[in-house]
Amino acid sequence: MSNPHRWFGVGQSAAADSRKAGAGAAAEAIGLGEAKALFVFASVAHDLPALLAGVRMEAGPDAEIVGATSMGELGSAGATDGGVAIAALGGDGFTVQTRAALISKADPRDAGARAAQALHGLDDEHQVLIMFSEGLSGQPHEIVRGAYSAIDPGIPLVGGFAADDRHFSETFQFYNDEVLAGAVVGLGLGSDGPIGIGVAHGWRRTEPPMVVTKSSGPHIYELDGEPALDVLLRRNDFDGSAEEFFDRGRQLQPLGLSRRSGEDIRVIHAGDDEARSVWGTADVPQGALVWLMEGDRQAMLDGAAWSCTEAVARLDGLPPLGVLAFDCGGRRAGLIEGGLDQEIQAMRTALSDAPFAGFYSLGEIARVRGALGTHHLTLVTLALA
Amino acid sequence: MPNWSTHLLTEYFTAVNAAEHEETAIASAVERATEMVEAEAGAVVRDGRVIGAYGFGSVVPEIALGEAAAGQPMIEIPYVGELHVASNPLGGETGDALIVARQAEPFDPEERQMLQGMGQVLGLALRSIRVLAAERHLRAEKERQATSAQTRQRLVESLLTIQRAISARRPLPEILDAVTCGAADLLGGAKVTLMLAEGGPDQRLTAASTCGDGDSPPDSLAQAAMAGGAVLVRPSEQGWMIAAPVRVTGEMAGSLCALLASTGGQQTEQRDQLSAFAQQVSLALTDARTVEAVREAHHDPITGLPNRALFLKILNRVLASRGTMADPTSVLFIDLDRFKAVNDSLGHDAGDQLLALVARRLRGCVRASDTTARLGGDEFAALLHDLPVEAAQFVGERIVAAIKEPFRVAGREVFVGASVGVAVSREARQNSEELLHNADVAMYRAKKDGLGRVLVYEPYMHAEALDRLSLRGDLQRALREGEFRLQYQPLIRLADGRATGVEALIRWHSPTRGFVSPVDFIPKAEEFGLIADIGQWVLETGALQVTKWRRDFPDLTLNVNVSGHQLVHPRFADNVMRALAIAGLPSSAVTLELTESVLVSEPDLGRSALGVLRKLGVQLSIDDFGTGYSSLAYLRELPVDELKVDRAFIARAELTGEDLALVRTIVELAQILGLRVVAEGIENAAQLAALRKLGCGLGQGYHLCRPIDPEHVAVRLAATQGESPVGVLDHRSTA
Repeated sequence: MSNPHRWFGVGQSAAADSRKAGAGAAAEAIGLGEAKALFVFASVAHDLPALLAGVRMEAGPDAEIVGATSMGELGSAGATDGGVAIAALGGDGFTVQTRAALISKADPRDAGARAAQALHGLDDEHQVLIMFSEGLSGQPHEIVRGAYSAIDPGIPLVGGFAADDRHFSETFQFYNDEVLAGAVVGLGLGSDGPIGIGVAHGWRRTEPPMVVTKSSGPHIYELDGEPALDVLLRRNDFDGSAEEFFDRGRQLQPLGLSRRSGEDIRVIHAGDDEARSVWGTADVPQGALVWLMEGDRQAMLDGAAWSCTEAVARLDGLPPLGVLAFDCGGRRAGLIEGGLDQEIQAMRTALSDAPFAGFYSLGEIARVRGALGTHHLTLVTLALA
Repeated sequence: MPNWSTHLLTEYFTAVNAAEHEETAIASAVERATEMVEAEAGAVVRDGRVIGAYGFGSVVPEIALGEAAAGQPMIEIPYVGELHVASNPLGGETGDALIVARQAEPFDPEERQMLQGMGQVLGLALRSIRVLAAERHLRAEKERQATSAQTRQRLVESLLTIQRAISARRPLPEILDAVTCGAADLLGGAKVTLMLAEGGPDQRLTAASTCGDGDSPPDSLAQAAMAGGAVLVRPSEQGWMIAAPVRVTGEMAGSLCALLASTGGQQTEQRDQLSAFAQQVSLALTDARTVEAVREAHHDPITGLPNRALFLKILNRVLASRGTMADPTSVLFIDLDRFKAVNDSLGHDAGDQLLALVARRLRGCVRASDTTARLGGDEFAALLHDLPVEAAQFVGERIVAAIKEPFRVAGREVFVGASVGVAVSREARQNSEELLHNADVAMYRAKKDGLGRVLVYEPYMHAEALDRLSLRGDLQRALREGEFRLQYQPLIRLADGRATGVEALIRWHSPTRGFVSPVDFIPKAEEFGLIADIGQWVLETGALQVTKWRRDFPDLTLNVNVSGHQLVHPRFADNVMRALAIAGLPSSAVTLELTESVLVSEPDLGRSALGVLRKLGVQLSIDDFGTGYSSLAYLRELPVDELKVDRAFIARAELTGEDLALVRTIVELAQILGLRVVAEGIENAAQLAALRKLGCGLGQGYHLCRPIDPEHVAVRLAATQGESPVGVLDHRSTA
């Protein structure tokens, strides 16, 4: 088989040996083609440099490799935990270019703006900036704003924030053969075929709302003038310590901020018994009105199908070659015990069995309309035709 | 759906005010405003320059943004297309503006209102930062810098408190008070008043909330701010006056006014602060109106039952879905008996509590699949599916029995009852309103036949209902065409037989109904909401008449009866004073008579109006004293001047020792409290003698003088002057 004009493939591996896992998944994704770019999603449990070496071995010296560590991987073959999922694309119809930048605490926007330079000089009819960022900087909005402010507003943004299973200590980004920490990696993708993006979640508000009366960055100290941890424990009818409450992801607390067309969601994943405070990975502005969000399984599965359907619908009637998926770790926690398979099945159906690969992240990036580009608890899909 | 824009404004406030430099404040404001309205791009135009452009890509369209600030509604962005623009002034005299541009759709009024607020807040923050920056170089002014920063912090805190109150749906008056007090506090103890336009064509202004001491702002100031749609600053005698307009869903609704003792050249800052508070009022009122509309549209808040509108909707649906005419649908109209008495004597809270308990019992009387509703007041309805008329009647009986059992309200047992009308749909195409109306008619008839009955609607009942309807029309016409007239009954000083005053008594001779007793039409006038107009007519007419008589009898006073419905009217005190002013009658010559039940049931509202009137010199009398819930406590608290002993105590031809003991107690009580006592219903010489002996000061009754037409009054009054044979006024003139 010769190299088609545009192609997209996915591969997954659960092999314990990191090099073999990387090589195996990459080989499956590339097939017989010549890859221009590979998107690698893997658990921090892997020996990451070895894993990238395996990928490079199959991809050849010229392919761009980008990606991030995850809170679980997903692909056409199913969802994995501690595995690796890879998407590859190639053909003359695609142009790719990459940039990486380290995040400075004082100016996180600058890193976003520099990663956005990946689009520099591209003149393809359809373009998108795909970003993989450190997930624990506490300032995800600023990073995305930095990228948005640096590109033409007609170009969409997608991507995800890296995770580290459920350790919340350090995440990594992949930039060719390097494993970076505290960085933003951008891949500018140009195509002569259409590009579609879908965004959906599946959560709804529980009344009554609360006002964030004291917060700083991603830390919430008070809700309605009361210690935030106390409020969450009470609203959940839970008697115990913060650690018990947030143990094993069963008690991820999605908070929804009131927005013009729905909610902007923050996932709260930890708390402090001393300070009675709680926090997540993105800032919650003081003065904001927030709702505790609840999701039932069906609503989340419907959200997955909707995200895929929306992305495909924007391909001007062409069938999708394949899809990159940025799914929230919070959704994963809500879908555990059988729900993950259902989600994968819902995506397969909505995509008419087109291949897809992606990862469970600490926050999703999607900007098509409007200026806001950071999301949580969503499934963002990027469909390529 | 709660108002998302209200929620966002506070986040924006916090973010913008956290900035220490102009650039960060602008960048923060632009980005948040852009994201919040889901716009693609935003910028600030300041002093003719574009600052903080966001989302325009590499080439910022400076000229187009300048035009947008000047009012151009669209802007072209390369590779994106034409975007809708909202340009929001930063306040001050310049053309500075916060601009956002959106591709998908134009900005709706609510969004524009929020963006206007955002522009104001940014302007305020920028000026504040500029002041701070300038002062940073001046050591001498260091203290002031701290104050200004503190003021900014206090502004944010104050607005957060208000925001929280809005979000938590606190009662509207509480929110409005928080606004005026927050503003007054921030403006260094200025008097701040929120003037809101009443409905109606003349758009009169009333003070909805006030904080601080001193004079009230002139109406003209608020009106000017509303007319101009912009914040106004004017010099006043003491210092400065500022007024900021308040809008509800974009329409002008009033004005937030502040009177400042002096400003020391800070008008701009204070004007902006007041404007920010006015914006909060706008949002609170808009939010309240939305919530109210949604809630009112469906459920009654007291009982949680569907309201009339929802009930009719359900009824419509049931009627429309009926398979055949053989499925009868019954509607019960349930009206409580004696509810008003409970409400009047125990107060509204107890009344509401009772309604909620009644609702619970009602639900217990019907099947789960049936619908119960509160139509309003003490009226309820039930919709019964597939029940033949006999069964519906039986349900009605069950309801009557259930409501007859005592209720436990406000710590005591309360007895009410219910009358029920039943209507069954017989026609294939029955109108829901008509069915409910028929049940209402049957209920009315049931009530007339004696309380606690259940009656099924029959067509003949309709004619009777029409009569009731026409009474409303007749009363309106009577007022319009001048069918009412007044008679006057003198109040006689028992010691010397002189008339000290007259009580005005309304009479109605209807051209179609003949003479109608006030006992019959006054409650109806109250029910129909006509009592305020009728009461005002009595007051105006009586005042004019007594003013005339006072030329010959200079000390003559006027007593007028006042209904509880008048008392709670927000302009009651004003109306009384207006009537007296027009007639030229001094307020000290007028005594308003109120029944005990009114005073007890409207303690707060009534008291404030009475307090105002009492301060203005009007006297107050308690009518029918001793019949109600005579409480010594309220006698001491209320500004009362006179007690009228009810005729029931004096009614016996020969007063018993017990009667006399009661009257004596009242007379002595009055003496202790320094009140006048009037004995009502004196009908013979023996009663008169007994009352004189007890030391009762004044009396009324047929034995002294019947109510008489105005043309005879002067003669009677003259007759009481000079010689003083008590009882000579026994004239069988008119009835």
